[in-house]
Amino acid sequence: MPAIEVQRQTLPILGNPNQGARFYNPDLPASEPFVPGHRTCAGCGPSIQYRMTSKASGDNTILVGPTGCMYVANSSYLCTPYNVPWAHTQIGSAGSFTAGVAAAYEAMIRKGKYKGTFPNVICEAGDGSASDIGLASISGALYRNHDCLIICYDNEQYANTGIQASSRTPYGGMTTFSPPGPKVPEAKTLYPKDLARMMAAGHPHCYVATASVGYPIDLMNKVRKGLNHKGAAYLMIYTPCQKGFVYETPRSIDLGRLVVECGLYPMWEWNPEKREYDYSFRPQSMRPVSEYLKLQGRFGHLHAEHIANLQKFANQQWGMMGVQLPEALIKAADPKNQVNMAAAAEAEAVAQTL
Amino acid sequence: MATATETIKKRTVRINGCVAAAQAAKYADVDVITAYPIRPYTATMMALAQMVANGELDAEYIVADSEHSQLSIAHGASSSGARVFTGSSGVGVQFAYELYSPISGSRMPVQMMIADRTLDPPGDFGSEHTDALSTRDMGWIMGWSCDAQEAFDNHLMGYRIGEDPRVLLPQMVCQDGFFVSHITTDVELPDPGQVKEFLPPYKHPYPLDPRRPVSHGPQIMPEQGPPLQLERARAMEGCMPVIEEIHEEFARIFGRRYDAWLEEYKTDDAEIVFFLQGGHAVTLRFAINHMREKGLKVGMVRLRTIRPYPTERVRETLSKFKVVGVIETNMGLGSVSSGGSLYAEVAAALYESPKRPQIVSFMAGMGGEAIVLKEFYWMAEKMMEAQKHGKIEKRTHWVGFEE
Amino acid sequence: MSTKGTRIPEWLTVPFAGITPAPTQEKGQDLFPTGNWRSIRPVYRDKLPPCNNACGTNEKIQGYLDLVKRGKYLDAYALIKEDMPFPSVTGRVCYHPCEQACNRGQYDEAISIRAVERFLGDLGQALQRDVVKPGKPNGKKVAVVGSGPAGHSAAYQLARLGYKVTILEKSPKAGGLNRGGIPDWVLPQDVLDREIERLIELGIAIKTNTEVGKDVSLDSLKKDYDAVVLAVGLTDPNSVRAEGENKEGVIYGLPFLRDIGMGTSKVKLGARVAVIGGGNTAIDCAREALRQGAVEVTMITVEGNPKEMPCVPEDFHDMTEEGVELIHGRAMTAVLGNGQVEALQLYPAKFSGAINASPITINKDVPAEKFAVDNVIVAVGQHASLAWLPAEFKNERGTIKVDRFGRLGDTNFFAAGDIVQLGSGQPLMVVNAVGDGKRVAFNLDKALRGETLEPRKIAIDVIVDLNRMNMTYFPHFPRVKQDMLNPTSRKKTQDEVILAFTEEQAVEEAGRCFSCGTCNACDNCYLVCPEPCIARSDRSNGLYKILVDYCKGCRVCIEECPTGCLEGVPELDFDAGVVRMDTAFAISPGLHGRQAQELANLASRPAKEL
Repeated sequence: MPAIEVQRQTLPILGNPNQGARFYNPDLPASEPFVPGHRTCAGCGPSIQYRMTSKASGDNTILVGPTGCMYVANSSYLCTPYNVPWAHTQIGSAGSFTAGVAAAYEAMIRKGKYKGTFPNVICEAGDGSASDIGLASISGALYRNHDCLIICYDNEQYANTGIQASSRTPYGGMTTFSPPGPKVPEAKTLYPKDLARMMAAGHPHCYVATASVGYPIDLMNKVRKGLNHKGAAYLMIYTPCQKGFVYETPRSIDLGRLVVECGLYPMWEWNPEKREYDYSFRPQSMRPVSEYLKLQGRFGHLHAEHIANLQKFANQQWGMMGVQLPEALIKAADPKNQVNMAAAAEAEAVAQTL
Repeated sequence: MATATETIKKRTVRINGCVAAAQAAKYADVDVITAYPIRPYTATMMALAQMVANGELDAEYIVADSEHSQLSIAHGASSSGARVFTGSSGVGVQFAYELYSPISGSRMPVQMMIADRTLDPPGDFGSEHTDALSTRDMGWIMGWSCDAQEAFDNHLMGYRIGEDPRVLLPQMVCQDGFFVSHITTDVELPDPGQVKEFLPPYKHPYPLDPRRPVSHGPQIMPEQGPPLQLERARAMEGCMPVIEEIHEEFARIFGRRYDAWLEEYKTDDAEIVFFLQGGHAVTLRFAINHMREKGLKVGMVRLRTIRPYPTERVRETLSKFKVVGVIETNMGLGSVSSGGSLYAEVAAALYESPKRPQIVSFMAGMGGEAIVLKEFYWMAEKMMEAQKHGKIEKRTHWVGFEE
Repeated sequence: MSTKGTRIPEWLTVPFAGITPAPTQEKGQDLFPTGNWRSIRPVYRDKLPPCNNACGTNEKIQGYLDLVKRGKYLDAYALIKEDMPFPSVTGRVCYHPCEQACNRGQYDEAISIRAVERFLGDLGQALQRDVVKPGKPNGKKVAVVGSGPAGHSAAYQLARLGYKVTILEKSPKAGGLNRGGIPDWVLPQDVLDREIERLIELGIAIKTNTEVGKDVSLDSLKKDYDAVVLAVGLTDPNSVRAEGENKEGVIYGLPFLRDIGMGTSKVKLGARVAVIGGGNTAIDCAREALRQGAVEVTMITVEGNPKEMPCVPEDFHDMTEEGVELIHGRAMTAVLGNGQVEALQLYPAKFSGAINASPITINKDVPAEKFAVDNVIVAVGQHASLAWLPAEFKNERGTIKVDRFGRLGDTNFFAAGDIVQLGSGQPLMVVNAVGDGKRVAFNLDKALRGETLEPRKIAIDVIVDLNRMNMTYFPHFPRVKQDMLNPTSRKKTQDEVILAFTEEQAVEEAGRCFSCGTCNACDNCYLVCPEPCIARSDRSNGLYKILVDYCKGCRVCIEECPTGCLEGVPELDFDAGVVRMDTAFAISPGLHGRQAQELANLASRPAKEL
């Protein structure tokens, strides 16, 4: 029988909530595919992102949930909070299960076995999945350009297993696999993988972008751009985790802004048509990294030189974005101009023994 | 894109087991194919690639990034309601191991073509059954074909069985690497109308469909574990009558009748029988013919379906004989028989029988070597000695390495 | 078969292959009522914005600015009209205590509220028929004595309540201080005329040239009307008690402006004019003097510096722009000249106690200064003229004695405006008079209907701390400035000095309003909730709802509310609406069995709408 043309929907881009001096969020779609009644922690950053993503995507969506907090914490007790189809898959199968769903719908619609518009296929993979064990499968899905959106909700650690280091955990980030101690005063010596850039550089035909829960409308628009892009799209989204970062729960959105304002999480988009980066996003202010670090217990052990190292790293990110560095931030990269975190002395003094 | 099968009528072609499997996938009008190269099964995927490129088959042909991804893609596609075909060999089968339990437990009828291959170390392209057998507890329907025709037929029956609403289980349709996969024999390809009558479209009761949203596989607490496990066990046992029913159906439509569980060859008056799976049965039939000419009452029982294991049939059938020689073309290191895995399966089936044969295990055809006629004769000798002395020399013999 | 004879008990029934039906959007995943996790619950509670609170008549300023942001100008105008009869007047003349109180002033610059009010007032004046209608007639008659701001406001509110109102005004034209105390280049005559017209459209009768105590007696008022509002104002100017104050050429501030406003002025100013006084009237007099022909105008104040002057700083600035000179720290002790003002005698002086509320101490130890002028305008405040009122209703300040409801004893006479506000601590402003008139009108109505009268409400929880709001949502934007006429040319004309906002400017300026403490439906809480457990049908204040069965008390909503209208309430006990989870199982036996049943019926239910 003759092949049927696959119909795909196009989602409108939302207006900017900052209209001159007035702050007013644009009208949002009414449907809530992500419903309350799940066991994520109060203030959970990935949950905030998940809800925004599914709202941006709408009811014609299929969600894929590799093992992680957005699997375990969201389900538990044999029930889930998704009013759209959702499937669990293995932590390493993020890209591949998603590819299977997308491919199945291509074939079924084309062959007349499914009558309807091509669904939005979204994979929600934690950074443990996206950056480590599932890296190959995601790269494969992007390379093969399946019509899907793969999201790495980046809480910079393996959270669900009780907070362990992943290749996205920042330098100096304490986790149970990277605790501070006299031998390792900075706790984590390795800098994180530049995951999103790897995806953009390696698969230039895909729409790739970074986002943060600190900028909700921007996040939802990037989700929609990714879904509208015919082919594979990838988003790496900063989603703070209260349990691992150790901060006051009301601050989840605030941290999402601060991490961008201090340069540690540059916000950019890769344009697959023009084959270039769009670095035009500018946060409202530029802050030294210490303002971000001091709000989180996971950095409480840092010494001045470690903070200076992080400032240096942030300065490099600003440079990549084409932002002129103010004097204050250049100075802040010198350990002489930093002070130890409050808990640094205690962290050093305690010899950790099991 | 139009498939060309409609214009082709029933015909006989000379193809190997790999291509036979590919043809079966084409006749089954699969929707998604996931491929990853590893010898010797790769030829199946090569044949399918050409079919898709020619427009003979309309399917999404996906070159996955690993076997783990292959099976994950298959899982995702099957969960969405697509008929899926995949396959692997050797260590590739094991690379995908993580997915076997999830696929069978989520009741997705994925079909996997396995042209078996010895496991590393080191690399050895030759056939052993260990690769697929090592996954036998994972809940897939599993069995070996002994030739290309049976492979083609088993693939078609596999979809029909696996997708049956009373079953909904994945299938590993296995064949010996090289001996079946790469030796060409005559295969009758059916009329597409016959396939249409035999194999209805795949329809999972709860696919991932935005119009009827469901969640597949939410996390549970241990309290919810037991009923789910019991349901899986019921599914495995409950599919047995369906398997038999469908073999009947196949015989009616295609004119080739297979016993669902066992092929018996010259067992009516046999006293000693060989018990094995797969392609070495072809040589064994010749060996038996020769031995019979010499007056030996020898026969063969070939196991066609190892999962679900036909415990009662094995018990009923084998208890009639005096000695059963289990030919193991697999490694079960540290097993009950210190040899392969089949011995224990046979011995346990016979345990409750008041009349039990002696059971001896033969490590033969290891590493992909052919089992030559001489070796069958040697094995028969050993069995006769056991019959004579009333006891076995030892549980496992390494054929070719002993006096 | 090993599974033969097995039975899964009802309470352990699970859906096929662990495939669960999707929860609905209406109920959420009710297997997990996570509401029992929290110890703090968010609640929406609008606080009192400082602008609404500071306004003398408690206009709903935040409310109308919000409506302007959304382009709903008529609704905004109607909202002002609930409390303020003449926004086109106050939009020009008010000393805007709202802007002084505006929280944005702590952040960058206060909102130019008066200019937005003027925009709306002028829009209202352009309407063929006003949005305000008279109330259903209740057959009662009320007299309002005085057509100034207080009287105008009282008459307006009473007409809306259904009373037949008659205003008695002793001047030839209605308007009181609006007419006679405010120059045309601040408040053009025709703008005020239109507002007076609106009163007539409400069915109010206005009798000008009618003075109580002369043309009409107090007793006749008692007889002819069911109740009376005395809003007679402070009409007599104060004197500085200087020697020679009665010479020709000595003019008093308020009569000077009033006569010009009524069109009855016969004053001809010489080239050099001095103005005594440091208040707003003095400033208006100084600037009016320039327009009446004076060449050199000098303002002489007891206050030692401009900051101490009880005037609006921007008016002071506009005055100095026009070239008025200043002499600070001096008092005029004598007017010198031969029957005609020729010079003023000045001595250094200061207030002996609180600025301009205490007697002046004059330093006569130094030689007197002589300051040559052709005219001197004395603008040091007014006092009441109440000869016609019985002594029992007067107090020691010389004004009308009223109780805290604005009532004279237990009569049906009420008083409002400057006549009761003098000395009360409240500055004498148009907007305060309007508020007073409004409250008195409502109390009058209650009195006539036998209901309990209400004193002025005390403000609860005025939000003035920016830390209670979230400033990250408000980048800095400068105040939109109204255009003004050129200082050199404008002082020669009666043209309005400050020009109106355009529609774009009004919307832009209203956009800077934080909406302090008051939900303006920005949807931020709705957007950032992790559950999500904030629901709303329409986007409107009062329609946001916390789903308490699910709220975990994370308080992200409270943190991210830009206006600070969300707050956390500690909860130690959970009310009946929340279910406790006592066991690790689903909260009631067989709940997974229910899922199994739902799943089995999936195919027979209608498909979801996409």
